Amino acid sequence: MANTACFIIVGRNDIPIYEAEVGSAAKREDAAQLHQFILHAALDVVQDLAWTTSAMFLKSVDRFNDLVVSVYVTAGHTRLMLLHDSRNEDGIKSFFQEVHELYIKILLNPLYLPGSRITSTHFDTKVRALARKYL
Amino acid sequence: MGREVAESCVDTMLMEMVAMFSGRFYANKPELAARRIEAIGYQVGHQLSERYTMERPRFSDHLEAIKFICKDFWSEVFKKQIDNLKTNHRGTFVLQDNKFRWLSRVSIDPSSEKETEDPSTPGESKAAQAVSMYLYFPCGIIRGVLSNLGIPCAVSADISSLPTCSFVIRVKA
Repeated sequence: MANTACFIIVGRNDIPIYEAEVGSAAKREDAAQLHQFILHAALDVVQDLAWTTSAMFLKSVDRFNDLVVSVYVTAGHTRLMLLHDSRNEDGIKSFFQEVHELYIKILLNPLYLPGSRITSTHFDTKVRALARKYL
Repeated sequence: MGREVAESCVDTMLMEMVAMFSGRFYANKPELAARRIEAIGYQVGHQLSERYTMERPRFSDHLEAIKFICKDFWSEVFKKQIDNLKTNHRGTFVLQDNKFRWLSRVSIDPSSEKETEDPSTPGESKAAQAVSMYLYFPCGIIRGVLSNLGIPCAVSADISSLPTCSFVIRVKA
């Protein structure tokens, strides 16, 4: 079970469309923006790495102290990025796959504009439940 | 994620969509109706591309993406594959479907076969124009799929010989 974990979904135009702190530890005030900062900084690395492989799950692309950034890229170049301190790669891969399915369900909603923020509380609840289950 | 719908429902919905846009909303403006239908197709293509590329690895180049459309995507949406793919290796692809499923119920006007090759005869152009309205939606779908895979393009359809239908994809830049 990861103590710190921050999950964001970044759309094609590098705008984050969903953010969530899914770790079990409480979020520290002085490090409140640090997690998101690390994830955004990792976007450049992901950009380079995504063109070198045709796999979807790029395992860990960047490190910061003892936190690791793992990324999953979809065919439409939507990046699911997770900042965590655990080493459970299979769990993380399953987590990404399940969130990908949830994301597709959101996308299939005809009233959802692709690239806009995901505001569904149902999605939020499900993502947090998946994080508790797999991370 | 799979529940099934009768194909007649899909056919009826497509016919009604074209009738609504070209008959009621933009009654004397076929270009505007065509643009709206194509925009609907674009969003549908966007969504379908995410859904059908979920299981497979990502694409390494344009030709891979086009081949995905010809094989996997076409069989998911139209239950068959594209019969013929041509390219000039400079960004133009022609996808030929010898029996396009959504046009299978459209009758071929017998009077137009007896006419000489004079394209200005009103009967032939009206029939061709009526059929072409049904092709904006699949063109939009193809454009949506390719745009989501990172390939901006323009798609047009060619129905010189029914039921064979060709889609011409021109990749931008």
